[in-house]
Amino acid sequence: MDIKQTVFSSIGQKLLLATSGLIMFLLFLIPHMGGNILFLFGPDIFNSYAEHLHQLVPIVIGIEVLMMVSISVHMFMGIRVALENRTAHDKRLSQKSTKERSLAARLMPVSGGMIFIFIIKHLLDFTLRAKPVTELHGHEVNDVYGMLLDKFTQPGHVIFYVLFMVAVGLHLSHALQSAVQTYGVYVPRKGSRIKLLSKLIAIGMASTFAIIPIIAFLHTR
Amino acid sequence: MSKKISLTLKVWRQNRGEEGRFETYQAGNIDTDASFLEMLDVVNDELTLSGKEPIAFEHDCREGICGCCGSLVNGKTHGSHERTTLCQLHMRHFKDGEMIVIEPFRATAFPVIKDLIVDRSALDRIIAEGGYISVKTGNAPEASTTPVKKALAEAAMDAAECIGCGACVAACPNGAAMLFTAAKVNQYALLPQGHPERAQRVKNMVAKMDELGFGNCSNEYECAVACPKGIDVKNIAALNREFIKANLKCEK
Repeated sequence: MDIKQTVFSSIGQKLLLATSGLIMFLLFLIPHMGGNILFLFGPDIFNSYAEHLHQLVPIVIGIEVLMMVSISVHMFMGIRVALENRTAHDKRLSQKSTKERSLAARLMPVSGGMIFIFIIKHLLDFTLRAKPVTELHGHEVNDVYGMLLDKFTQPGHVIFYVLFMVAVGLHLSHALQSAVQTYGVYVPRKGSRIKLLSKLIAIGMASTFAIIPIIAFLHTR
Repeated sequence: MSKKISLTLKVWRQNRGEEGRFETYQAGNIDTDASFLEMLDVVNDELTLSGKEPIAFEHDCREGICGCCGSLVNGKTHGSHERTTLCQLHMRHFKDGEMIVIEPFRATAFPVIKDLIVDRSALDRIIAEGGYISVKTGNAPEASTTPVKKALAEAAMDAAECIGCGACVAACPNGAAMLFTAAKVNQYALLPQGHPERAQRVKNMVAKMDELGFGNCSNEYECAVACPKGIDVKNIAALNREFIKANLKCEK
């Protein structure tokens, strides 16, 4: 009873939201970005990275399960918090103005929803798909490099990926600083280094992810 | 030098149980040295003399310490001046001929009673859950038996500055009462006198806050800008810490 009350209290919900978000950030987003950077070093390195990932299957499956749990918790709590907040806020105000809240903070449910759509599309595009095969050091390996180049020959795909990375950046820029404050570390309103760092990480990660489809597109021209 | 200005007021009028609406009034010959509430007094005198219902608004001390007054003025809680309650907002900050929109503090947990008066007793319900310390009555104990660090005493006083006006709730995009509850929890958590009931206090007050229909904090800090007493969001971080600690300890 006590645990249920704690988990579904306003602070409990936010702690779960922050924790599930941080798990995805640390165990999925950062390694994924690291892998993507290897794309810039050409087909051999990128394909061999993908091949090595396959040899780590137990760990990969473990992380995948953790991701599924995190996404479920994050979405459930996110939607719950957003709906509760909508009910608690009296919308009849005609003139209410806001001074402090950022665009990113305002758009959290929207950018969150966009990221979910993106994940599904991204899984259909690459993960859940028969992969072409190529030769690497005398072995037969999946040609993920070629698959990626092939995908991003279409400008529509490139625009889609870049646009949705803007959502990732917006989401992260509020999420990181907000999670830190939720854990009880004081993030000041003005001149906060944590806020600045949060924005820099968001911009850095979103642009690193976004640059891959752009480079792939230019590569095939 | 004071001068006289004329204003157009768009004021929210609402009777209990009825739908509200905006009404427009002219406020002529307003002294710029008058406070915002004194300006409303002038308008109400004229309304009364012409046989109309005066605008209902809450007020008591009129010196910025009781927490009774408060309205949205042009969409901003207590008007646009930082660290100023509505009663301490003066008409010299308005231009001659300006249109001012006046609305009640709004949140689902603050139902409108009449016109600009809202029922903020939800905040009192939160206090009743632990916003106090239990002490034996009798003579005051010798002060130096409970030493308190100067820095902690000051931080506790900063939190205790909260007058419970509800501006933080009205300014919050989520109608959350986190800044209020945080200040009230923290003013005791910082002092030794507050320690015996510490864990139960934060659990009960947060549970009550949720039960009363306040929203969830999303760390957007509108509350801290709106607060006429300058309560800082560091209190919200401290409330989160108190909550985590209290639940990890599993104290009853």
